[in-house]
Amino acid sequence: MIPHTDGALRMLSQRLMKQLLPDLKSLYSLSDGALIGLLINAIADETGEGIQRRLDDIAEMKLIFIAGEALLSSREKEVISTELSSYRLTDVNDHHDELTRILVSLHQKTEDKKIEALNQSIWAYLGRHSRRHKITALP
Amino acid sequence: MITTDRVKIAAAEYLGEKWGTPVTVCNVEKIFGGASRETYKLTLEVVGETRGVILRRDPPSSLIDTERHLEYGAYDRIYPTDIPVPEPLFLENNTDFLEQPFSIMAAVENPMSDVALLSEEQKKIVGEQKYNLLGRLAAKDPFALKFDEIMTVPDAVSTAAVQLTYWQGVINDDEIHPQPIAQAAIRWLAANLPPPAQKISIVHGDYRTGNFLFNEHAEITAILDWEMCHLGDPLEDLAWSLDPLWSGEDLELAGKLIPHGQAIQTWCEASGLSCNEEAFKWWRIFASVKAVAIWISSSENFEKGEGKDSILAMAGWVMTDRQNRILLNYFAPEVIS
Repeated sequence: MIPHTDGALRMLSQRLMKQLLPDLKSLYSLSDGALIGLLINAIADETGEGIQRRLDDIAEMKLIFIAGEALLSSREKEVISTELSSYRLTDVNDHHDELTRILVSLHQKTEDKKIEALNQSIWAYLGRHSRRHKITALP
Repeated sequence: MITTDRVKIAAAEYLGEKWGTPVTVCNVEKIFGGASRETYKLTLEVVGETRGVILRRDPPSSLIDTERHLEYGAYDRIYPTDIPVPEPLFLENNTDFLEQPFSIMAAVENPMSDVALLSEEQKKIVGEQKYNLLGRLAAKDPFALKFDEIMTVPDAVSTAAVQLTYWQGVINDDEIHPQPIAQAAIRWLAANLPPPAQKISIVHGDYRTGNFLFNEHAEITAILDWEMCHLGDPLEDLAWSLDPLWSGEDLELAGKLIPHGQAIQTWCEASGLSCNEEAFKWWRIFASVKAVAIWISSSENFEKGEGKDSILAMAGWVMTDRQNRILLNYFAPEVIS
């Protein structure tokens, strides 16, 4: 059992990059291996924080939807009110995607109807979303 | 993926047949030579002489969905001009040799592509050449070079809209997750189309640091990766080359070489064209949207298992992340910190 999967992945990435790759002779394999090492590092970060980051996004999007409720269709409101089916990453991802599609549509409506305050709050959310998901695990 | 041994045997047979003389393939090395094709560097012995060639094989999947005859046709038409490109040798659509179509070009001697190897003075020299060459490319008459025989000719008014529609389609078709930042950018681009192009030029399509080779004297010896070449607004290449993604940590330097203002001035002088501020802003935002489309497309290929190359995953994840923050900085710089 590996209780701290993210830490284990980081360790494996380090081993790959520092101990195994230097022995490779092909420049292509060396570059490919280095990319894989970097990706494992980023996956480690996602394993540790990915679900929480999406839950934070979902909570923030729901606040935006409350502010823009008048612009939402009944179908969109139904999706927004749906509870997460589980905390598995795939389920959280799917729900996050559904809400993001509604956000894209709402963003367009704020532009069409020139609702500046809501439009700015969506941009502000996208800024926070971007900071939250910024890939920092790469050395 | 095929083995290098397989490439060695097939290349010897193919080139021997083409040149009508025995060819020995002494060495085969797979290299990163543009992510859209598998690229191999071959060292040959032909009639007692050693020469190098580059073989580019279509993979089942790639970063960019391109047609090989367009890329090869671009090399073929540019090679006789004053824009340096590798000599195109053969384009083979028959899949009997290597299971996929492939092309072969002469290798460039002593190639270097990492500008970090250059001194500060050499960076200035290479930067000037880079934008002088791009200006000269923009100045060329695509009809005199018969580019209209292999590519669609857009009109000056609609070329921006044509490009936007194409790359918007790629995002809509290939996105695995919704892209709220790119979609906002697309809406802005559609609502604020630029003035007509000054002329219809040959657009390289991926003109950036990393896609040209230079030698030990800091001379650019080859412009590579013409797979996205098309006809269109010459500002498209200039804007793409100045995207912050290619600047590394110093965003003031165009492709890690020379300041943006100097790059633009060099381009204007070499092309005889102007850089309209309004149009240029449009093409810079477009460049980032196009880049997002390419990264998303690679991500889709990796997700579907059509491509297993790690660079597809890297582009689809890390590059999309960076490119979205570049777009955010255009539209809402106050939310970036």
